[in-house]
Amino acid sequence: METAAIQTHGLTRRFGALTAVEDVTLSVAPGQFFGFLGPNGAGKSTTIKMLTGLLEPSAGSIEILGQPFSASALELKRQIGVVPEGMALLGRLTAPEYLHFVGRMYGLDRETTNRRTNELLEFMQLADESRKLVTDFSHGMQKKLALAAAVIHGPKVLFLDEPFEGVDAIAAGMLKSMLTGMINRGATIFLTTHVLEIVERLCSHVAIISKGRLVANGSLEDLRAGVASTLPGAEGEQRLTLEEIFLSIVGAGAQQDAAQELSWLA
Amino acid sequence: MAGINGAGVNGAGINGAGIDEAGAARLFSATARAQYAATGALRWHMFINGLRSKMGAFELGARTVAFVIYAGMGLGMGFGAGIATYFLISSDEWKFVPIVLWAVCIIWQLLPILLASFQEQFDLSTLLRFPVSFSSYTLLYLIFGLADISTMVGAILCFGIWVGIVVAWPTLFAWSAIVLLVFAAFNILLARAVFAWIDRWLAQRKTREILGAVFLVLMLSLQFLNPALHQRRHQGREQRDEAQRQMMAQYGPWLHKANAVQKWLPPGLAEGAVQQAAQEGTGQAFESMGLLGLYALAVGGVLAARLKSEYRGENLGSAPSRKKAGLRQLKGGQAKVAGWMPGGSGPVAAVIEKEIRLLLRSLPILYALGAPLLLVFIFATMFHNTSQNTGHPMIFALPLGLAYAMIGFTQLFYNHLGAEGPGIQLLFLSPTPIRTVFLAKNLFHSMIFGIDAVVVCTLVSLRMGMPQPAMLAATLAWLLFALPTHLAAGNIFSILFPYRVNPGRISRQRGSQGNALLSLLIQAVVLGAGAGVFALCSIGDRLWLAVPIFLVLAGGAFFAWSRVLQNADAMANRHKESLMETVMKTA
Repeated sequence: METAAIQTHGLTRRFGALTAVEDVTLSVAPGQFFGFLGPNGAGKSTTIKMLTGLLEPSAGSIEILGQPFSASALELKRQIGVVPEGMALLGRLTAPEYLHFVGRMYGLDRETTNRRTNELLEFMQLADESRKLVTDFSHGMQKKLALAAAVIHGPKVLFLDEPFEGVDAIAAGMLKSMLTGMINRGATIFLTTHVLEIVERLCSHVAIISKGRLVANGSLEDLRAGVASTLPGAEGEQRLTLEEIFLSIVGAGAQQDAAQELSWLA
Repeated sequence: MAGINGAGVNGAGINGAGIDEAGAARLFSATARAQYAATGALRWHMFINGLRSKMGAFELGARTVAFVIYAGMGLGMGFGAGIATYFLISSDEWKFVPIVLWAVCIIWQLLPILLASFQEQFDLSTLLRFPVSFSSYTLLYLIFGLADISTMVGAILCFGIWVGIVVAWPTLFAWSAIVLLVFAAFNILLARAVFAWIDRWLAQRKTREILGAVFLVLMLSLQFLNPALHQRRHQGREQRDEAQRQMMAQYGPWLHKANAVQKWLPPGLAEGAVQQAAQEGTGQAFESMGLLGLYALAVGGVLAARLKSEYRGENLGSAPSRKKAGLRQLKGGQAKVAGWMPGGSGPVAAVIEKEIRLLLRSLPILYALGAPLLLVFIFATMFHNTSQNTGHPMIFALPLGLAYAMIGFTQLFYNHLGAEGPGIQLLFLSPTPIRTVFLAKNLFHSMIFGIDAVVVCTLVSLRMGMPQPAMLAATLAWLLFALPTHLAAGNIFSILFPYRVNPGRISRQRGSQGNALLSLLIQAVVLGAGAGVFALCSIGDRLWLAVPIFLVLAGGAFFAWSRVLQNADAMANRHKESLMETVMKTA
């Protein structure tokens, strides 16, 4: 049996009385583009933080590339790349300086770091901004830089928390092709985003978390079939979009209620 | 296209019911009052929510203790200022009263920088996304500034001076109160204006570099001034007295001119307004007072100009122009990063290079490191004069100078993660152990302290002559104890009591009283231990004995530092959530 790239068992995180993530068990195969979806506050970022070592789980276990995270954290960190929620940027460095710093923190030698820095800056169309401090970058440029930093060491597993937020359509297309290329070369990508169209186009497997609990997990076709089977007659025979699947699973009723309640809005 | 620019965008609803636009523009309209109340409530909620955690409660305790200390310090200085003013006026030495007022003015302007890490300041620019009028924004900006330490200490000093004046000359009761109120208003506005403009200059690359160069030139000039002013230290007493007489003859006219100029500056005008009311007549007193008021208005105008730009949403980005960027692209082709440590491509070198870059771009930290050197220069001059007058050389000048220089490093030693911002996540995501990062930071800080120490030694040697070999050895041994002690404690405090530092700003920082007080406590222990050993060993002229004592202490300190370093990863992992939350905080 093939070793999973990411495997969790009963992953739980509590903040005092609040349980942000509860008993999440999932498995992501190597080479899979995995979409992790959920409404705001569902526990997506908390899960990514636990998977990447930024947050200690209250219970449960995590294995990355077949190794328990807690036992071999440093070794595993070399194998993974992360675009975390806060992007982990150093505002008072320039983009080349930042990438250079990150590369060396991941153990790359100076020459390799320099070469990859230049290639990444060119690819991300940030080369013209090489004298500008990161703090002066637009949000989209910062996202691109954070993604460049996450891949500079050539990770086998990539965790992306909202990588497309604030990125323009041209850059988004470029990033999508880069991520697809990584998948073709055998990398595993764990992606959270609210842009369901991107997940539908890129991801082969999807999990949905709601109020801290995993409420759906499987291939897109499995989820589609599962939701369709609960719908009556002709409605169930239509090809459902991911948005329809998502709303059906996490509850669409709230949307209509909100529109009715805010009747004072023009 | 018609659909895109269609109806509805400028329609009712966005500026709809509930927002009184005209009212918001008036300073005390119902809307403006509601906004003040909301801002006050916001500050209150932030304060109360801060107490929810154990650290928050600890912070409140530390804040209370700090308030008592600052109040005590202010009362002490206020008492001194009052006594000095009383004696000067009673003995009809009005010409020296401006010195007291100048001292107040300088303290008022320098305290906010010295205490930047001690006080929490709310960044009011976050309110600009709301429909707050400019006048309301300015009022809030001024009101929130009234609660800081420099205003508190400055106000106490002014009160002390007022009491001194009234006791010496009771009829000046009301007039001196008005004059000192205007003087206080001038100082408040000046401090706010200076910091607002410095922050603005620090925000842009070009002005930041100019400001840095001016600062560097100023520091170097002061260092060169030191030997230039004191070329006669090897001369005898009579020769020196004669030289001083010559100097007075040479510089006397210049001093008179300086005095004539300072009379037209706010401290001189404040003194003039009070003296003229006492001796010459109300007409001239009103003239001086009017000029003082004009200064306050002018400084207020400068501040208002800055706030107006901020209010309009200025862009302080330092992007190179598209044309220049294109040219660079054609010429350079590739972005290059200079490596300062040949052969060092590992994480330690990477962290040190990053720290050097950040330090060179952070004027406030450079100032914190450079300011003690300026004071060492002043102290060296004082020691020099004292030893000349008493005939006893100041043998402790070197350890005192180094101890003082070390104080400037408090923020770097004790909160070395505070300036990382969101980048702190990288330290936990990368495969580099935290102890390696700490080791690199400690090495870097030791290195720059070493540079500071060499400057201090040079200054003290130039002013006081070469120190005795025993004193030099004992001081170096004390440093071997003091430095690892601070680094060990600093590593612990950086994890347990961190606070967010914006390296590009002097004002509007988020300080931590807990960190500040505890780090000062460690400073006091290290200084106290040093002073005790020096004092005991200097009795009977056994200064050499201090060397082995300090070396034993240094061994202990080094052991403690290495233990802290070994446990840094475990400790950082235990506290990583609160650490990241604090350091990544944005408002």
